[in-house]
Formats: sequence, structure tokens, C-alpha cells
Amino acid sequence: MKISYRRTGGFAGMLISHSFDTDTLPKTDAEELVKLVSAADFFALPSKITATGADQFQYTLTVETAEQQHTLEVGETSAPENLRPLLEKLRLLARGKPDL
Amino acid sequence: MSHQFYSIECIIPPHIQNNIAEKGTPEQRKKVMGSISQSAAIRAQRVLLTETKALVEPVTVGGKQRNIFNLNFGSNLPGILARSEGAPPTGDPAVDEAYEGAGATYDLYQQEYQRESIDGKGMRLDSTVHYMKGYDNAFWNGRQMVYGDGDEDLPEPQRIFNRFTIALDIIGHELTHGVTQFEAGLVYRDQSGALNESFSDVFGSLVKQRQRNQTAAEADWIIGEGLLSPNINGIGIRSMKAPGTAYNDPLLGKDPQPAHMSDYKTIDYDNGGVHINSGIPNHAFYATAMEMGGYAWQKAGQIWYVTLRDRLTSTSVFADAAQQTYLVAGNLFGGGSLEQQAVRAGWQAVGIQIDAGDSGGNGGGTGGDTGSGGGTTSPGCSTALVQLLDNVKALIENRSR
Repeated sequence: MKISYRRTGGFAGMLISHSFDTDTLPKTDAEELVKLVSAADFFALPSKITATGADQFQYTLTVETAEQQHTLEVGETSAPENLRPLLEKLRLLARGKPDL
Repeated sequence: MSHQFYSIECIIPPHIQNNIAEKGTPEQRKKVMGSISQSAAIRAQRVLLTETKALVEPVTVGGKQRNIFNLNFGSNLPGILARSEGAPPTGDPAVDEAYEGAGATYDLYQQEYQRESIDGKGMRLDSTVHYMKGYDNAFWNGRQMVYGDGDEDLPEPQRIFNRFTIALDIIGHELTHGVTQFEAGLVYRDQSGALNESFSDVFGSLVKQRQRNQTAAEADWIIGEGLLSPNINGIGIRSMKAPGTAYNDPLLGKDPQPAHMSDYKTIDYDNGGVHINSGIPNHAFYATAMEMGGYAWQKAGQIWYVTLRDRLTSTSVFADAAQQTYLVAGNLFGGGSLEQQAVRAGWQAVGIQIDAGDSGGNGGGTGGDTGSGGGTTSPGCSTALVQLLDNVKALIENRSR
């Protein structure tokens, strides 16, 4: 499974993007990501869920498996509750990897 | 003679109409700007919208009322109440900084600009701290302030961000997003979004300057001072004095903010670069305040506040902010006053020229009639005032039915 992650906005306005491949990630991270994508029912989510307010992170996620592919654009507080653990995991994995 | 009447009818100047014509050609803009009755209608509608927004707000209490909630690294807002108004310090720095910072921000708006809280009606100030794990952000969700702890979960040598309550101006910044939501309602995208961001930086910085009792010349004009860990080469997130110089680090890259229209950036992320192009209006405010001298929250802050409250609309662009701050300065301090000239010089410093044909003076001083004597006097101006009053009257009648 491949996941491309892009985070923009936020108080600091910094852009962070990173791509993950479960074939090359450490086993525990890879397994957790597969579980979180499934828990989020990611492929059933719409392509865009916007949030109101200001300084919120906006995430763009693309998840690709052998069978399907889906891209979602979502604002911090508009994320469905079962998607938040996946966003948090990716956010922490991508930390310190800004797109310069 | 007619001076005072003129200044009243120009409370709604043609430029406020730019919201309809943001994306139009110069000809289209001119056409729309000629129709003042539309402006009045839009404005009346906005009054209604603002009041509707206020009605759905959950808690309006009056006076300074702060609640700080603790989420203990979870994400379901708001969390558990950790400190309410009048309660003693908790010893948790994030809770206490959020409390004190919201108080200092409330005080600036209340004591300097006679504004009662975020909505102008005493809305309770709710803040949540310890939002999620390793959360390097602070935001306004439309109802409350939210703060993360940065990289609290990492060993110190690996940290980039400290907790987001560490800088008073961040707290003032977030709270001001609330004020903007209830006033100009600047759309959070492109130039209107960059203005939204800039007003937050301006009043965030003014909260800090006022607490430190610093004049414009003494202030550092840094946004987010202390937020970056000692591992990072940077003094903060943005510099209003010198946009583009706040940080330069192998991990974070270089502060991307422009300080001049010639460096305006068209970008496809961050809602069209709202946190980036805000450097331009930020620097215009800095330049204005420096030109005026003294405490920036007094004259320059007053002008920017009145502009945000009364003059801008959801799709205003930089040129509107420039023109309106100029007109407000004329109203508050007199047409052709040193204050008004400082506003003009401030925008000029970032490459935005103000049409000085209408100085918006109140007729009180010798320069007060520059507006009425100028070529921009519209014969439709008094008609517009009558139409505005009609619209307001209709609005009141509709609402009381």
C-alpha cells in the first residue's frame, strides 16, 4: 500500500509532504497504517471535506492499493472521528520532513 | 458647511464594493463600484449575517469570561475544564498561558477599542490546550482557540516546536481570527485570506507590545517568538519588521514571506499562501506605526481596528485595506493629518499606492475639505445614503415581523 501525505496551512503556514510505502516501512508502522486506513473506511470517504475557522491544517491523502486508489482533502476539525488516528499517525511519521 | 454631511455620506465609500468585483477587469470593477445601492444592500445583509452568527454562538456572558479546557492529548473538543474566570493559576504552563493571554487580548480590545470580546457582545473566551500528541499548531475552529504542545513527545534534541501558548502574540492572533469572523468576515483564501492573517498578526503583536509597554521603535515585531526550539535557527515564525527573515534552517527552510508587492507569491497551497503574502500588509502596518511613532496600538491600531470592524468585506483585497485605512485615518485624525500621511507612507513602503483624491477628512481641520474638493465626489453619494437608510429601515421592519 502506498500513501502520499501532504499537509498545508497551520499557524506557521509550512508545507510538509511525504510518501510512504508499506513495503519499505518498518513492519509495526506498516501494519498500523493498513489497520488505520481500514478503520477510517478511507475508500468510502468523499474527496473533499472542508473545515471553517483559521490556521487549521489541511491534509491531502492519496492511498493506493493493488485494487483501488482514492484521494481525500480534509481540514483538521472536519475529519471524521475514525479518520483522525490515521492523520495523527501520518503527521507524526512525516514530522521533520518538510517539503523545501 | 456641507463638510460634515459629506463625511457622513462617505462612511460607505465606493471602494467597499470591491467584494463584488474582485476578479473583474478594471472596467467591470469601475462599473460595479458605481453602484452604491448594491453596496448598501450587501452591507445590510452582512449585518443580518453577523447577527445570525452571534445567535448561534453558544455562550455570551458579558465581561471578561475565560474558560481553559485540557484535552490531555486527545482530539474531542473542548476537553475538561481546567481553569475558569477568577480561578488561581494551575501550575500547568499551557493552561495558565492560555488564560493570561486571552485576558491580555481581551483587555487590548476592551480598554483601547471599547470592544466587548470576540463578538463585541461579551462572548465567552474558550480555549483548549494539550490538543493531540506532537501537535505543532494552534488554530481557531470558528468557536474557540486550540493549542498543541509542539514536539512535547520527542527528546529535547529532536524538537522543532515548543508549546504554542508560549508566545502571547499567538494567543492574540488566534483570538483575532474570531474578531475578524464577526466583523469583515474576510474569506480565508488568496488576498482576503492574507489580510485575515495579517490582522491576526497585527493585533497579536499589539497585545504583546502593550503588555511589554513598548513603543513601535522598541518592539521586536516578531510573531511566535520562543516557539522554535533551540535546535532551530530562527527567532520566530514571522517578522513584521523584516518579513522573510524570521528563520533560516536546514530542517525548516527559509521564512518565505515577501515584504513588497513586487515579491507577491502565487502559490497552490496554504489557501493561496495566506500565511505567506500576509507579510505585505504586515509590513505596511509596521511601516505606518514606525512613521507615527509612540505606542502602535494607540493610533495605528485604532485605524486598523476601525477598518476591520466597519470598512472591509469578505472579499476585500490589499488595495481595499490600503484605501480604507487611509480614509479611516482621515476620519479619525483629519484629512491630510500626519496620521493619514503615515498610513499612505506605510502602504507605499510595500508598493501599494493610495488614491489620495478622497482623504476622508471630517472637515474639522484645514485639510478636512480635501475630499469634498476632489474630483472623486460622486453625485450619487447622498442618494446612496438615503438608499442605505431605506435598506436598514426595511431590514428592521422585516426582522420585527
